[in-house]
Amino acid sequence: MTMNYINNASLLKRQLVVRFARLMFAGELKNKIDLLPLHQAPRNSEAVRCCVHHDRAVIRYRLIALLGFAIENEKPDDEARTLSSYVEEAEARGLERMAGSALTVIDEACSACIRANYRVTNACRGCVARPCMMNCPKNCISFENGQAHIDEKACISCGICAKVCPYHSIVFQPIPCEQACPVNAIVQDKNGKQDIIAEKCINCGKCLQACPFGAIMERSEIYEILRAITNPAEATVALIAPSIVGQFNTSLGKLVTALRKLGFDHVVEVAWGADLAAQKETAELIERLEHGQTCMTSSCCPAYVDAVNKHISNIKPLVSDTLSPMQYAGEWAGQQWPGARRVFVGPCIAKRAEAKASPHIENTLTYEELGSVFIAAGVDVAECEESRADLEATSVGRKFAVSGGVSTAIKNAASAAGHNVTDKVIDGLDAKSLAMLKAIEKVVKPGTFVEVMSCEGGCINGPGVISNPTVARRFLEKMLQEHP
Amino acid sequence: MAKKFKITICSGTTCYVLGGAHLMMLAEALPADLKDQVEIIDSNCIKACQYENALPPFVQINDYLMAQASVAKVVEYLRKH
Ligand code: SF4
Ligand code: SF4
Ligand code: FES
Repeated sequence: MTMNYINNASLLKRQLVVRFARLMFAGELKNKIDLLPLHQAPRNSEAVRCCVHHDRAVIRYRLIALLGFAIENEKPDDEARTLSSYVEEAEARGLERMAGSALTVIDEACSACIRANYRVTNACRGCVARPCMMNCPKNCISFENGQAHIDEKACISCGICAKVCPYHSIVFQPIPCEQACPVNAIVQDKNGKQDIIAEKCINCGKCLQACPFGAIMERSEIYEILRAITNPAEATVALIAPSIVGQFNTSLGKLVTALRKLGFDHVVEVAWGADLAAQKETAELIERLEHGQTCMTSSCCPAYVDAVNKHISNIKPLVSDTLSPMQYAGEWAGQQWPGARRVFVGPCIAKRAEAKASPHIENTLTYEELGSVFIAAGVDVAECEESRADLEATSVGRKFAVSGGVSTAIKNAASAAGHNVTDKVIDGLDAKSLAMLKAIEKVVKPGTFVEVMSCEGGCINGPGVISNPTVARRFLEKMLQEHP
Repeated sequence: MAKKFKITICSGTTCYVLGGAHLMMLAEALPADLKDQVEIIDSNCIKACQYENALPPFVQINDYLMAQASVAKVVEYLRKH
């Protein structure tokens, strides 16, 4: 499993969100935001990058992304702009949704990772045979001080030199974000910095998890959300995704209370929408199979749906038309509390893009962001009382958080209706699984339901989670045992 | 028999969010020879986060309070004591 291992870049980001949220709760964001880079990287501290000034420059961009702006849109003179002027702009933006991609790259943080993927290590003995030099199709290997040297500008990363070196002294070095991207949507520009191609990007967030410099940021909606929950005149609903169980090492009931303490007026379990989606999807599957369709795939993961639209559109007719659990839950909340701001709380960045195109959800917040907001508000989840959500779900919908949950639900519902369906789970998107999906009709038996999750392991391993997926899964299983 | 080390992992919200979530893997990560010398307790906020400039996540090992704790740091400490 691509691991959600402990990572200093993401911890620093969480600390920054805590500082940001503290200022918002104190009503001092506009006055004090320009001090945040100084507080996060004080003068006498040890710099993470070359010096504190560079650290501060990066922090400044992180704050711009936290305010929801795309860093790519920065004009040359904007470098001199104050952060408080960005706050003013965000304020004026009002309720409009932010246009453009959900992710943004901080050039200043991107270390412009190596251009050539192959590198000569010190193990090179400068042997007489020199097979690397002899076999390089681009003639880009020369010898300096008795060791091979690769001309990075000429290298095409074919890997022949690494294969032929008798000492294995040439190593492959991937560019982490590029390697993580399942659809080749992130590429180096002419300066060696990474750019995301919006027409290809499916907002899966894998590059963001992979970058060791934390150079890829989501364009957050935290500003809008905090402004709404601290405004008593504005009604807000938190729609919590099934994978929230296990994110705070505590029960669902305590989390519900904690969300209310933050200022959300209502709390809805998106797993209720998953219950509904499972029913609708089963009926749809049975009908489609009766009409002779070979198989149908799930539609709840927006990164997958986007991948179909942008990269394997030949299988579009096979994707279920059922809305995602988030949208059903949002629709319900809209009927229940007209005009309330509906905030999806989940692990996912692709959901942010889905929400933008949906009439049923206004904003999205990740678990990481929520965690930082709890800290800033001084809300300790484990110490809250238990309370119940305004809308609760069954264990069927709650299992949507882990891979296999959707297909199990549908297989069971179909068999209860007297239909035998097989299921196949595509657990994680990468180039290989996308190629398989492209030809899915030839791969599976007729009568199959195909569940596809962009994140390996399911949403509990989404890009915005706090808990290690193993721990979260353990928690979810325990909860399902106690509340079957 | 009392174990040699009593390890209290703080899983109050501050600690949990700022790195403590990964300490939940401590039991699995302990080397075999240390496993039966420790007792692991998962606790609510142990109030160490409330000091100015506190560095969560916190772990209490017997009398020692470890700041910015990680699985690797805990294992190293146990080895030395
Ligand atoms: S598709 Fe995923 S990995 Fe590729 S650029 Fe977009 S978010 Fe990053
Ligand atoms: S698997 Fe879940 S978290 Fe990951 S992209 Fe899909 S919906 Fe989002
Ligand atoms: S949350 Fe760990 S000491 Fe308070």
